[in-house]
Amino acid sequence: MSQFRAKKLDLSCFINVRVLRDHTKRKVFEQYETERQALRYIIRNTTLPGRARAQAQLQLSQMHCYTRSTQINNRCIEGGKSRGVFKDFRMARYPFRMNALEGNIPGVKKASW
Amino acid sequence: MPAPFQTPPSKPANASTGLLGEGYNTDAQMAQTTPGGPPQEYIPPEQRDDPRLPRSVQAIYLKPLKRRAQYGVPTCDLQLRSYNVRNVEFFADFALRAAYYLHLPAAGPIPLPRITERWTVPRSNFIFKKSQENFERITLRRLIQIQDGHSETVEIWLAFLRKHAYYGVGMKANVWQHEKLGRCCALSPMVPMLKSILGVGKTMDVSLENLKQAMEPKWAHFGRRKTLETSERAFEMMKSEAFQRTGIPLPSSA
Repeated sequence: MSQFRAKKLDLSCFINVRVLRDHTKRKVFEQYETERQALRYIIRNTTLPGRARAQAQLQLSQMHCYTRSTQINNRCIEGGKSRGVFKDFRMARYPFRMNALEGNIPGVKKASW
Repeated sequence: MPAPFQTPPSKPANASTGLLGEGYNTDAQMAQTTPGGPPQEYIPPEQRDDPRLPRSVQAIYLKPLKRRAQYGVPTCDLQLRSYNVRNVEFFADFALRAAYYLHLPAAGPIPLPRITERWTVPRSNFIFKKSQENFERITLRRLIQIQDGHSETVEIWLAFLRKHAYYGVGMKANVWQHEKLGRCCALSPMVPMLKSILGVGKTMDVSLENLKQAMEPKWAHFGRRKTLETSERAFEMMKSEAFQRTGIPLPSSA
């Protein structure tokens, strides 16, 4: 896992191990995206011989788990929390509330209806 | 032109009344200078011999002027979005004035439905779900439609608006261009039609290439599907030794 990790710190936000890991996964996924897609194309193309498709399946299953998009999980930029993170603000619910009350998030205000 | 300008809502604060009286005499001022006294005789602005404000300056106090569209063919839809009513109203007004002075017939500002987003979060950072708080963000939208505009003029208008972009107002423009059909040759009824269609396609291709150069740095910020790279990679893979041994046919370069 750590073979993918950058030797020098390449993040400048809230950092903990889980944030770092997620960042690494994102970079690895981007790097191998075309390869995965190409293999998936070969697997699903029914005009190709079965052996070639099986070969592609093998190759795909042997790729590192960090190359999967499903490994990526959005994390809070304020505290690195993984649960209750709003996609719109990239913040967990509590930091979101604090920032919204301070007026740091454009357009967001207390609702009353 | 609209009705002559009569009452400016604001006047320079530091100018003395005597100077103003000499310079820009207005009805409001006349009413102010004689409080409680007998009402002065009304002189229409055309017959006064004192100088008036220039028309372009007067127009600022009035509703934005609009050109009338001859054909009503939409060429540009500009959508302004903001979380703030004042900003979006002000900028819509500015855009309309800019369109007027560029001789572009503009319709609008048409208020589009507001986008309301709401979030409910617990007040505490941990448990206590019973006590929650609601937040909302309302996006206001205004649509300005340019009709019968020349594509170059519309581009100038859009560039001008972008140059003078207002804080807190986002802009989105859909632009339609109308291409001239190619030259017809009178061989058969079908040939010129085909040629013209091909001609339009070619010019569109050229403009697309130009657009790509301009848009690529902007699109680089977005995640996009890598279709072209993927097909190239698949092509490479199928040519590789490991796949050639599986009896895969050598892909033709297509």
